[in-house]
Amino acid sequence: MQKEHLFKVLVIGDLGVGKTSIIKRYVHQIFSQHYRATIGVDFALKVLHWDSQTVVRLQLWDIAGQERYGNMTRVYYREAVGALIVFDVTRASTFDAVLKWKDDLDLKVTLSNGKPVPAVLLANKSDQSREGLRSQIPKLDTFCKENGFVGWFETSAKDNTNIEAAAKCLVEHILAYEENITNNTDPDVVALPGYNNNTKERVRTRCVTCSKF
Amino acid sequence: MAQQENGRLSSEDTMSVRTLGSQFDEESSFGSDSEINGFPSLRRTDKYGFIGGAQQYSAESAQDVPLEVLRHREVKWLDMLNHWDKWISKRFKKVRLRCQKGIPPSLRGRAWLYLSGGKVKREQNPGKFEELDSMDGDPKWVDVIERDLHRQFPFHEMFVSRGGHGQQDLFRVLKAYTLYRPDEGYCQAQAPIAAVLLMHMPAEEAIQLDGEILNALLKRVCPPAYRHLEKHKIEPILYMTEWFMCAFSRTLPWASVLRVWDMFLCDGVKIIFRVGLVLLKCMLGSREKLKACPGQYETMELLRALEQRYMQEAFLVQQILELPISARDVEREHRMQLKRWRKTHGELSYKSPPRMHGAQAIMSAEPHTRQDLRQKPTIIVQYPLPSDTKSEFARVKKRSTIRKAPNLTFDVPNPYALPTDPKPAPLTNQTHETASNNQSKHPPPSLQQSHLTTPKQTPSSDPPASVVPPQPSPNLSRTPPPPQPSPKPKPAHVTEIPRSSNPAVTVQPLPLPKDSSNTNNSAHLIDPPPTTDSTPLLPDVAPVNGNSAAAPTVPGLRNSFESVGSEDTYL
Repeated sequence: MQKEHLFKVLVIGDLGVGKTSIIKRYVHQIFSQHYRATIGVDFALKVLHWDSQTVVRLQLWDIAGQERYGNMTRVYYREAVGALIVFDVTRASTFDAVLKWKDDLDLKVTLSNGKPVPAVLLANKSDQSREGLRSQIPKLDTFCKENGFVGWFETSAKDNTNIEAAAKCLVEHILAYEENITNNTDPDVVALPGYNNNTKERVRTRCVTCSKF
Repeated sequence: MAQQENGRLSSEDTMSVRTLGSQFDEESSFGSDSEINGFPSLRRTDKYGFIGGAQQYSAESAQDVPLEVLRHREVKWLDMLNHWDKWISKRFKKVRLRCQKGIPPSLRGRAWLYLSGGKVKREQNPGKFEELDSMDGDPKWVDVIERDLHRQFPFHEMFVSRGGHGQQDLFRVLKAYTLYRPDEGYCQAQAPIAAVLLMHMPAEEAIQLDGEILNALLKRVCPPAYRHLEKHKIEPILYMTEWFMCAFSRTLPWASVLRVWDMFLCDGVKIIFRVGLVLLKCMLGSREKLKACPGQYETMELLRALEQRYMQEAFLVQQILELPISARDVEREHRMQLKRWRKTHGELSYKSPPRMHGAQAIMSAEPHTRQDLRQKPTIIVQYPLPSDTKSEFARVKKRSTIRKAPNLTFDVPNPYALPTDPKPAPLTNQTHETASNNQSKHPPPSLQQSHLTTPKQTPSSDPPASVVPPQPSPNLSRTPPPPQPSPKPKPAHVTEIPRSSNPAVTVQPLPLPKDSSNTNNSAHLIDPPPTTDSTPLLPDVAPVNGNSAAAPTVPGLRNSFESVGSEDTYL
């Protein structure tokens, strides 16, 4: 029997790093110089035939990058299960902002077990990086480990480099989590709708996080 | 008719983008990539200057106004602008009605300036823009603004080339605004707005509050839609952020954007709420429609893909006017939602600038003198008026029982008449003479004078009230306005004719824009990119618009398209 999954995935990062371009490339296989700046939020749906038994529907939420929309992100992030965090390899400031986005994400949304949602780091516009942040690239492995990214990719929406791979990596992690949840659920226990199995756990995690600060 | 119009558009009224883009600069965003991107390089502009994109003109989305009526309206608007304070204070309903019918494209720029209060502001702060323009912007804002310049209206010829005049002007305006209001700085949503008109936009929190207000009003106007959104946890900011922050300038077809803005600038923010409510009501108003979008995502997708028929100019305007939501309703809901907001979120962290509450409120809030309101035309065309030169305001006052001004259609010859048009021949000659007379007296003033670059001028040296400055110029960067000549010997009878062209050129009557409402593009018509070599701007052969010529029965016409009821009952 075929299983169908529906995942809400956020695409976040500073203004002008290419979030919309990545989504359009991934979903519609096109690239244009003529995308308008995103105001608020935009959406796209990508259907993946993951394997013979699994269909994955990815709802991609394209979130406006300007910092000042910041306090609206809580609504946008709700119920997301994964994120692509994007920076522009030609602009160091967008890389500096990556952690700000990651923190914002972890603060406003968590998985049902209280863990942070899986996030993949995208170093976009790799077609333009003659020098730019090249020197940073080797350090990204450590950077990701230290900051809780599940992986990173050098991408180019223009040349269609690595975007599928990055998405695949993210979906793998989301699926792994899903399976984990289903396996751990006692088949004899029926979860009532509206009842959150993980309330306690989440509260605990929050407290741990709080005490860190 | 519509198709004919389209045909004409593509053959005569347009200019290929290749000419524009490639000659402007090599870095043109349309240059080498255009083929790769799937844009045929010979894209045509529509009558609003769009070369593609969802907002490009389509005959179905727009309303066609016969030329006679348009000319008639222009005369009325010129008169209103001449006596603006009186009209606003004493006959505001009429002003509103005329805004609802649509401001004639040739006068839209100026009318918006008056409606928004920008006119008075500018007069009272002479040189302010120049001052801000000459200052260096905060690098933080400058960087962000620069990233956005090419992403506003990528399908508009004005903004198509990187570093072209449209993007340059937009930069100057946005940067000036960050200097003018350093506390507010730059918000991405300002750019589409400023690309049309500079104005205050609500802060981010305010947009969420607006969302709550919209939602509460929706509950009254269309309960099923409200319940559906509630059920699927679709918070207003998921669908209305762009609508409200950009005042629909990115959502609706262009003809509708202009009509909405006509009403918005006249009547204030309630119009924005009404447009939002109309769209929600149309898209989610019936059981079948709700069945078709069973989930959150489907619903949001639906609201991002609004059906054309609901955004069609005439339909939309009608719906907006019929929607029973008054400014008072919006105010009341605003107070209630603010109270709730404070309970749940605490005090608002922003000091929002006052919201747009319409031209009347603006007028009364802003002390002004008649001098401030005086029109300062840059182009002078003398034109003998057929009957009296008294203003409509004065006339109508006398015959106060007459609701509509008598039909002037045949008294007002078409000032845009084509050389081949036999009808207004004698008048054309006179225009010719007077125009050249004028010319000999004064050097031709600036072709394009935008309100952004208005030179400091002493009001006393202005010509009384004579001409129409064109719409905000797209190319102020290229034509620095020369000092204004002061036409001291003022002619005895001067009447305004809405024409936006250089006297030097206008000895030939400007070719009639082939669409009745085409004059909107005056800037493009009269001011081609300097290097355009091919496209003749004043085509010799321009057949008279058969449609308008064949439509002399004005009363009938009026009924057919002045669909706007005589008033907006929900004030």
